[in-house]
Amino acid sequence: MDRGRLALSLIALAAALALPFVAGPFWTGLATQMYIFGLLALSVDLLLGHAGLFSLTHASFFAVSAYTVAILQVRYAVPTTLAAPAGILAGTLLAAVFGISVRTRGVYFILITIALGYVVWGVAHRWSSFTGGDNGVTNVPFPAIGGVGITSHTQYYYLVLAVILLCALGYRVLIRSPFGLGLRGIKASETRMQSLGYRTSAHLYAAFVLSGALASLAGVLYVYYNRFVNPVASSFPISVEAALMAIVGGSGTIIGPFLGAGVVLGLRNWVSSFFEMHHAIMGAVFIATVLWAPDGLVGIAARLRARFSRPKEPGP
Amino acid sequence: MLTSAILQAINGVSLAALLFLLASGFTLSFGLMRVVNMAHGAYYLLGGYIGLSVAQKTGSFALAIVAGGAAIAVLGYFIDHFLIRRTGENHLAQVLLTVGVAFVLGDVALAIWGGDNLMVPAPKFLKGSVVLPGDVYYPMYRLVMIFFGVFVGVVLWLLYKKTQIGAVVRAGVDDREQVNATGINVDLLFVMVSALASFLAGMAGVVGGAFLTLYPGAEWEILVYALVVVIVGGLGSLGGAMIGALVVGLLDAYGRWLLPEFSYFVLFGPIALLMLFRPRGLFGKEH
Amino acid sequence: MNRLKKNVSLHGAVALLAALGMSAVAHAQTGPIKIGVLAPVTGPLATPGKDMVEGWKLFWEQAGHTAGGRKVEYVIADTTCNPDQALTQARRLVHQEKVHFLVGPLCGHEGPAVAQVSKETGVPLVMDAAGADTITKWSRTPSVVRTAVSASQIGHPWGEYMYKELGLRNVTFIGQDYTWGHEVTLGAVRSFTALGGKVAKMIWNPIGTKDYGPTIAGIPEDTDGVSAVVVGADRVRLFEAWFNFGMDRKKKIYGGYWLHQDVLPQMDDRAIGLIGNSLNYAAGLQTPENIAFTTAFAKAYKRLPSWFGESAYTAGLWTKAAIDSINGKVEDRDAFLKAMRTVSVKAPRGPLKLDAYDNPIQNVYVSKIQKIKHPVLGDILTNVPVKTYEGVSQFWTFDPKDFLARGPYKR
Repeated sequence: MDRGRLALSLIALAAALALPFVAGPFWTGLATQMYIFGLLALSVDLLLGHAGLFSLTHASFFAVSAYTVAILQVRYAVPTTLAAPAGILAGTLLAAVFGISVRTRGVYFILITIALGYVVWGVAHRWSSFTGGDNGVTNVPFPAIGGVGITSHTQYYYLVLAVILLCALGYRVLIRSPFGLGLRGIKASETRMQSLGYRTSAHLYAAFVLSGALASLAGVLYVYYNRFVNPVASSFPISVEAALMAIVGGSGTIIGPFLGAGVVLGLRNWVSSFFEMHHAIMGAVFIATVLWAPDGLVGIAARLRARFSRPKEPGP
Repeated sequence: MLTSAILQAINGVSLAALLFLLASGFTLSFGLMRVVNMAHGAYYLLGGYIGLSVAQKTGSFALAIVAGGAAIAVLGYFIDHFLIRRTGENHLAQVLLTVGVAFVLGDVALAIWGGDNLMVPAPKFLKGSVVLPGDVYYPMYRLVMIFFGVFVGVVLWLLYKKTQIGAVVRAGVDDREQVNATGINVDLLFVMVSALASFLAGMAGVVGGAFLTLYPGAEWEILVYALVVVIVGGLGSLGGAMIGALVVGLLDAYGRWLLPEFSYFVLFGPIALLMLFRPRGLFGKEH
Repeated sequence: MNRLKKNVSLHGAVALLAALGMSAVAHAQTGPIKIGVLAPVTGPLATPGKDMVEGWKLFWEQAGHTAGGRKVEYVIADTTCNPDQALTQARRLVHQEKVHFLVGPLCGHEGPAVAQVSKETGVPLVMDAAGADTITKWSRTPSVVRTAVSASQIGHPWGEYMYKELGLRNVTFIGQDYTWGHEVTLGAVRSFTALGGKVAKMIWNPIGTKDYGPTIAGIPEDTDGVSAVVVGADRVRLFEAWFNFGMDRKKKIYGGYWLHQDVLPQMDDRAIGLIGNSLNYAAGLQTPENIAFTTAFAKAYKRLPSWFGESAYTAGLWTKAAIDSINGKVEDRDAFLKAMRTVSVKAPRGPLKLDAYDNPIQNVYVSKIQKIKHPVLGDILTNVPVKTYEGVSQFWTFDPKDFLARGPYKR
């Protein structure tokens, strides 16, 4: 089993490395987006899949970091080596502020994060003398360190791939650490964890800030890919879609959010090319996932595997 | 300056009246059934469009209001029965599911009524303006809307506080087990409250469509306002929805006027703070 | 001088081609010409988007879907009036649909995003409708030409009109808070204040402002006129709010960019007599070209075209003229762009030609809303020109170098 999974991972990695050579710029671009939004979905899922908190404000961290990078690079000609960390820092600081929303649980947490998300969107949208309003910030350069820089979307694809692989490894370590197990414990039963002496709110707060930092990293990757940012990046649909990606792919897993991002983005690009009602299709995916595949693609795969392995068991 | 301040106050209250129509249904269905229905904005839009078609065919605004409300009540019933009910009390699933429903409804509305910006035709006597003291002109329609909002509020309050059904609903909001124990048909009660909530949303669409106009995307804009109203007032509280609508309407009007660049901040900032210190809103109860 | 020469040689080529007849074009073909059209089919500007798509379709139906002896196909992609989506769709059209060139987008702030794709890939972009000034001023791209209008190009005459013809001195400006709104409004402010006019107040509203009550309540008492630059769904809301608040009895409002043809069906007789627009097109224009165009449009779609419809139609006319002149060889991007820059077009809205900065020199019409008897549609509200500014440049009367040195209009 483990050997099979290793082989599968290697095949996937080889496919990812070969993609720009076989598939051309459109698919390479789509895959880059899939990695970036997959990372955003993964950050949402740290709270959703591991701690049971459904945040609808993650577009805020994503956008604040993207805006920070864009404004620093375009208006103040700050180099990537400073702008990118500044972006992550700005998004993480915002997460540290918004993190106090872990004082609430359940539906109240969902609603407060929606309201917080709208504060950020409103500022991006209306404070146009600073953010550029609806126009956003254009002409963001490709990232460059020292004299060496990215010059094409293909090169950028590999950079993003490397970053998300590192993130995935770090994430794996995190969720298997005592910290990650603590989160799972809180998700299962907060009162029990409290009686065991856990300061659950502090635990959740730390998870929220970490998750915000990850979303900020996705924001940095996004702005260098799109080379443009406007208030849409901070909008409610981005937060909803990130959660949807995590759930469609398989919440609580690492590969799930990326698979989900692939499904959602692929579907949107593909369907919108021939069918006008693409929002309805997305809506149908939401509904179908909730009703029939709450464990997402990963869950479906597990079910299929279980079904195929069953005939080997001895009959009654 | 003073005239402007007064005008803004009336503007705020008239927006509040509309928001109350929408938020009261949302808050009731949460209070009783613990349903968070993100499709409420789509109900508003669809109700408005249906009312528009009825008004164009029959020329009657009153009929449009009733038809918009009734059509959405039926639709709401089916969505509730066949989709939302299946999520149990999993709010996460409810939010995702109803967002999906809203996407589908929005696209269906777009396919039928197109992307144009449409206005529900208000009757002749509601058009034009009223002269208020101090030579201030104010739209007749919006003044009447304030009265309509108050009227609906009073009717709902009477239903809630003075009738037997209301008593059961109140009991249900406080403690559902208790209602189950009294032998009342809870399913029927849920259907009725859910239909009422949908009816209010559809009706709000017709009323709002006559001054805010109807267009694709209106469902999300209005939903966020309604959500904030409910957050401020406290989920499940009718009085809270009324106070919340006033707070949101006035903050919105004054924010746009005095600090246009930060109007969303003026609106959502204090509300986010409020949530931190009173997570259940002004009148919300512990659940 | 140089340009003139090119023009002559081009005409020579066309004449030669005509002499050779169809045999010359017959063997140059490699399948159909594929054009990517970026339009907001859904979203807040869906109505103008529909006009754009239908104006474009009408032209190619009339032209029999051929240009330069080749079949013409087009793919329409929905930008939803969102720069992010416009960017994604433009990349899709280029990489996936492999279009020969792009036409569009419509919304001003989508312009720079799509131009970026043209810059990345070298695929020519014929910018239709999106009016961001910078595209033909500060951030020009060799592969981008504009066939519609530059935002402040219509704003400058509007400021002069308010001062000289309307006699206004202290104006409140209501503007939509994004590129197009800023540039039209501030262009008008510049020419208006240059003549000595004063700005009473500027009021900016984002696209999709629900309630114009606060805006109206904020208009200063001492202003002698209000200039409106609003787009999309906001146009009706401002119109209704204006009358409902009884402002028609107190103040005068004038549309610098407001009552376009696509929104008039939702308005009533209260609109009659209002100055609706200062624009490069007015559907009520009485030229043979425009009468032919509006009649065909009215027959096909049972309504009159707005400037978006005319602009897309003209983009078709213009690209076809260019394709014809290079014998259909759109694969040669440089030749196609050169042809776009050199041909001159007699469009429904008047004669057109690109200036040295790739923006058309064209008439600007200040128009008034009138009810006319249309041969196809009967009684209908439309924009009737009351003043024509002929051959307006995007730099108005200013020197291009000074204009460019001054930088873009920003609020």
